[in-house]
Amino acid sequence: MHPILGSRAALGTYLLGWVPIAGIFVLVGLSQGWTALESVALALPLCLLAAFLFLSSWYLCKAFPLGSSRLGSPALAWILAAGIMANLWAFSGWVLAWSARGLPGFQDLLPKVRAAMPVLVGLGTLLYLMTLAVHYLLDAVARTQRSESKEGELRILAQDAELRALRAQLNPHFLFNSLNSISALTTLDPARARSMCILLSDFLRGSLKLGERRLVPLSEEVDLLKAYLAIEQIRFGSRLQVAWEIAPEVTEELLPALLLQPLVENAIKHGIAGLPEGGVVRISARAERGTLELKVENPVDPDLEPPPGLGIGLRQVRSRLQLRFGTRMRFEAGIQDGVHRVVMIFPAAAGGFSEAMA
Amino acid sequence: MSERSYTAMIVDDEELARAVVQEHLGPHPEIQVVASCANGFEAVKAATELKPDLMFLDIQMPKLNGFEVLELLEHPPTVVFVTAYDQHALKAFEVHAVDYLLKPFNADRFEEALVRAKARCDQGAATGPQPAELAAAARSDWPLDRLVVRDGTKVTLIPLAKLDYVQAQDDYVLLKTPEKSHLKQQTITSLETRLDPKRFLRIHRSFIIQLDRLTRLEQTPSESWVAVLQDGTRLPVSKNGYARLKVVLDQGV
Repeated sequence: MHPILGSRAALGTYLLGWVPIAGIFVLVGLSQGWTALESVALALPLCLLAAFLFLSSWYLCKAFPLGSSRLGSPALAWILAAGIMANLWAFSGWVLAWSARGLPGFQDLLPKVRAAMPVLVGLGTLLYLMTLAVHYLLDAVARTQRSESKEGELRILAQDAELRALRAQLNPHFLFNSLNSISALTTLDPARARSMCILLSDFLRGSLKLGERRLVPLSEEVDLLKAYLAIEQIRFGSRLQVAWEIAPEVTEELLPALLLQPLVENAIKHGIAGLPEGGVVRISARAERGTLELKVENPVDPDLEPPPGLGIGLRQVRSRLQLRFGTRMRFEAGIQDGVHRVVMIFPAAAGGFSEAMA
Repeated sequence: MSERSYTAMIVDDEELARAVVQEHLGPHPEIQVVASCANGFEAVKAATELKPDLMFLDIQMPKLNGFEVLELLEHPPTVVFVTAYDQHALKAFEVHAVDYLLKPFNADRFEEALVRAKARCDQGAATGPQPAELAAAARSDWPLDRLVVRDGTKVTLIPLAKLDYVQAQDDYVLLKTPEKSHLKQQTITSLETRLDPKRFLRIHRSFIIQLDRLTRLEQTPSESWVAVLQDGTRLPVSKNGYARLKVVLDQGV
């Protein structure tokens, strides 16, 4: 797409740039001994013609992009093109003068134009080269912008990959405590020890698998959470209860992989684990007007001073959403009436947006 | 030589974790488990009443952590920490724990810990009970966000946000909150080192205040200074205290 013809604003600015050139043209005409009427009558149509005719230099600019090491051949091409265009343009001036020869006030124009042909060709060459320079400039600007946005995109991808890698790293204490539970169950209840081994394997495999992907359907994230919570329920017994409120229509919605897992881990570590009687971890998901709303709630010990700001886990989740959705997401976390609540709202059907980027 | 018997307590918030210790104690009839507790409050209550010889103690627990439990006991038993966290090991030995078992552990490792623990019990008071001061110091790498106080078997947690000021009373400190004053066995100097200097300031040999409670400073006719707190309490400010206050207040402006 031509950068000037492609946008109305660009075209307007470009044509405005030709107004002073038309003024110079008039002055040149006057200096050649033309009358004011003759100068203006020739300057306006010729400048308009030049403005559009010289837009063709864009193709020259595309054919010989700057930065390629060979300078000789583009210079030759520029001069050649400038020569052809300037002659064409000057000839148009002559045609114009010839067409106007019968009109009153223009009878003497034709010989004057013929005499000024070298000046017209020189002026045309100059103007053509100027337009060409403008095109090269525009092209350079567009290139920089493209590479910047490409760079930004790459940065987002890199940061997201980093955050996901961090997520996939398992909390070692979860692992040690789970192994300790298995160690206890081997004599107390060998069948449960075996089922806990299997749950732990399911969870490990699942988190590795999900960690490799950018987006997963909610149902898969929920499956992983179920394995995780089943393990924690063996550890915490009746202290840990789970309430699921997943609206059936959102189970196939896509979300960044391992987004909920750290929140649920926090809910246990900073919520349930601090309460002698335990409590309910509530995980809900619903769709509302094109957005997906995810919520994780857990009771907290009211005697504990709430930590200032967000913990590292919550900050990571928020940055991942920010990277992906920018201002189109909401992330809230806080304690109210003894319940810690994290609410995330972001555009549903995120798939089209990002699997393409991956 | 006839083997003596020992009383023991198991403290862990996870039932299965308590079960493992119990199971490892199975072949040891000389160890009598007198209490099995699921949180720090229960542990303090049981230990105060039963005064066991030995305690298997988890660190990360609801309400009170393992170090806080020890801090609240007048006569702490011989302690074996049992935890999944290895970063507290150094601190654990500073409070004179005889051993530090990392979950999960095997029978040999448990036996080793038990032999050491029994030896420590047999030495009796020779090594002395760990002073509460040491327990408090041992937690110095934890962000202190509350103080624990015990009155008989009743344990109170005081979030630092509630603490107006601290007053020294011999070997005790009086912790003043809007509702109540609590007495705790600790010296004001050791408490001072544990408090965030940006929030709390020693204004006098006998007083530490929470800085955001301070409304103004008044000069008495004898040219000494008095700190006036939000609730109207007037506390003396020493010369050194005034110098410290001035530094903090100048920075705050």
